[in-house]
Amino acid sequence: MADPTAEFFSSLEQRGPDLLPVKARGTIRFDLAGPDGGVKHWFVSVNRGNVLVSHEYRQADCVVSTDRELFDRLAVGEVQVVAAYNRNDVTIQGNLPLLLMFRRAFPAPPGTRDPRDRVRERLRRRDDLQGRVRPANRILPGDRECRQ
Amino acid sequence: MKRMASILDGNTFMLSDGCGDVDPSPDYPAGLFAWDTRLLSKWVLTIDGERLHALSIDDLQYFELRFFLVPGEPTHYVDAKTSVIRHRSLGGSFEERLTVLNHRDESVVLTLRMEVGCDFADVFDAREARPRPGRTVTTVEDGRLRLCYQRNRHVAETIVSSSEPADVDENGLTFRIELGAHGQWSTTLQAIGVIQGAGGRDVRESLRGYTQNRPEKRWELGEWVARAPRLTCDSEALEDSYQRSLIDLASLQYVGVTSQVKLTATGLPWYMTLFGRHSLITGLQTLPFLPEIARSALWVLSLLQGGRIDDFRDEEPGKIVHEIRYGELGGFEEGPHTTYYGAADTTPLFLILLDEYERWTGDADTVRLLEYEARSALAWLDTYGDLVGDGYLWYERRSSSGLDNQGWKDSPDAISYADGRLPGNPRATCELQGYAYDARMRAARLARTFWNDPAYADRLQQQAADLRARFNRDFWIDDGEFYALALDAEGGQVDALASNMGHLLWSGIVDESRAGAVAAHLLGDRLFSGWGVRTLSRDHSRYNPIGYHTGAIWPFDNSIIALGLRRYGFDEHAARLATTMIEVSGYFGGRLPEAFAGYDRARTRYPVQYPRACSPHCSSAGTPLMLLRSLLGLRPHHGHLTIDPAIPEELGRIELIDIPGRWGRTDAFGRGREHLRRR
Repeated sequence: MADPTAEFFSSLEQRGPDLLPVKARGTIRFDLAGPDGGVKHWFVSVNRGNVLVSHEYRQADCVVSTDRELFDRLAVGEVQVVAAYNRNDVTIQGNLPLLLMFRRAFPAPPGTRDPRDRVRERLRRRDDLQGRVRPANRILPGDRECRQ
Repeated sequence: MKRMASILDGNTFMLSDGCGDVDPSPDYPAGLFAWDTRLLSKWVLTIDGERLHALSIDDLQYFELRFFLVPGEPTHYVDAKTSVIRHRSLGGSFEERLTVLNHRDESVVLTLRMEVGCDFADVFDAREARPRPGRTVTTVEDGRLRLCYQRNRHVAETIVSSSEPADVDENGLTFRIELGAHGQWSTTLQAIGVIQGAGGRDVRESLRGYTQNRPEKRWELGEWVARAPRLTCDSEALEDSYQRSLIDLASLQYVGVTSQVKLTATGLPWYMTLFGRHSLITGLQTLPFLPEIARSALWVLSLLQGGRIDDFRDEEPGKIVHEIRYGELGGFEEGPHTTYYGAADTTPLFLILLDEYERWTGDADTVRLLEYEARSALAWLDTYGDLVGDGYLWYERRSSSGLDNQGWKDSPDAISYADGRLPGNPRATCELQGYAYDARMRAARLARTFWNDPAYADRLQQQAADLRARFNRDFWIDDGEFYALALDAEGGQVDALASNMGHLLWSGIVDESRAGAVAAHLLGDRLFSGWGVRTLSRDHSRYNPIGYHTGAIWPFDNSIIALGLRRYGFDEHAARLATTMIEVSGYFGGRLPEAFAGYDRARTRYPVQYPRACSPHCSSAGTPLMLLRSLLGLRPHHGHLTIDPAIPEELGRIELIDIPGRWGRTDAFGRGREHLRRR
């Protein structure tokens, strides 16, 4: 991936409404320092789940500062933002609850599988091996069956 | 057991031995802690090289304590020529005022020394001296001692200073004092903790909870107690435990770093942080008394709701958090606890509390504001919660350092068959199904009344009815006439008789025809010790009266069971349980601990302490409140409060004045008419 941070922000406007609570409202500025010391700004405005992203350097309700390398890893889900904050790799000023809501926009760690698939595959394999047939579980309401 | 002395203020606490000294201990996390980090691990006072011995300890307030001490070990008689008063408090910082009294008829020169040290251990590590990966530097500057720990960008500091001049070296402060005949001398030592672990935050300056001064704290405590209803009753034990509970609940309030709202810390000393489950349960217990506890719990847990699949944290979208930690271990991902989600009960409990909160307070705005989070929680029940795909609520640990059991009984051996075998994974414990049923029933009401979505409400009700029918088919053990503790991975019954079943009554998932058998088991010899309902039946293989979740008795568990018994009309059973629990509180000075031992009452005649139980503990503090609700039969109904007392003769009269709610304030009265059967 060439620029995970740019890809993360560019998909935000589209993904935001599905990911963010309706009550999330406010502005977050991400100040990302490069190895040369230059700081790149991402300005995110959240309103009722709708997201607008720009490069403006404006006053924001919440300001998140870190380096670009770390944010690249946040953008692909490798790093978790609250842990990074707790070890002081990310600093946050202003409205922290807003960032906690925004946390939902970060993706799962790379290679993550749906836990249901893992469990169901394992159970299916075991059932096959042991020749077990799971009873159908749906019954009509009010219809009391006895356990097999 | 060795006496310890603690003061606390939210998630900050100082735990020392009975003389006020802090030495490393393998048994408990000794020292000054804030944000799960130890800020003092050595704090030892000597006079002329000799340690002191306590004559008495004064518990002044939860954040204030006073020791009266004399030099030397106790002998047949104490004929001390010097005595020392250590008066310590929390609020803004840790302070200790030392006063030395000379009882001689002549002047004397003494050397007073405070040994000071700090390892900055995470509370998880506080009992063992693990080597720290960071660097500790101690410096003496301007008459102050500065202890500093650094690991990458994480910096923690403790600064110790004195109001009187001291000789400061890297291991402490020394005072050479000259006292006249019957003279006295004082100094105030101060320890300030600064953790730059998060955004250069300074625990001292950036957090309201920590910067409060002492008079403000006293005023706030008075306000807190005054906001709660007033209790007058014949039972002294009940009145004591009610007052104690209100104060303990106040002492556990703290302002979270990230959420910036008041949270309830869980238990001293191990869980001085937010736990999703216990915040929700404490919120439920305290609704008729201090509904702000429920409101904050709902607010902060909605902020921390799971947002992605994260195996290390057992997190999934929509799931409500298990615990948060602020310490170094979580920050550097040596453990998942910064935000850990390994709990299957928190999500339905969140929905239950949201509905119950509105029923009491009439705060419809909160229900509308949290619609997104509530719907996410319901979606979690249908998706990630239903791991197997059969409609039940299951759990299985994915995190390498997570919890094997993810209901409230979360120790590794908590869920077993009667013969002691442990079931495979995933597991579906019975109380989880009750919560999931109740959550859907309640969410249906919210969808219909507040979210303008009757179709969704119908669907939720249908799902709940379906779950109830299947649950009564699959979990009921015909031979034993009780509900299985869990289903195992094969769908088979985990056939232990356990207190979890009591929660089913509270949830309303129990078939009317079976409630009698359930109630009889709960108050029967196998589960009921005479003091309370044990976590596990005494005839099971893993039963141990001092087993955390395999025999000990948990007050909060009993408070939920009492409410469940009343729901199904077992008034005498509920009254009996409430009465014994109030009796127990009397043995613990009005303060119910996290858990106590499950020995039979006939054997011990008094409730035995559980070793290492947290105390105070938030949902044990909430227990007397929920028992009061159960005894008075308080229920919000169509905008007013209905009262249906079922009080045993032993407890006499109970009056609760100014119960807050959607009705404004109202009073409840009840008189003991219930005749208890004794076994």
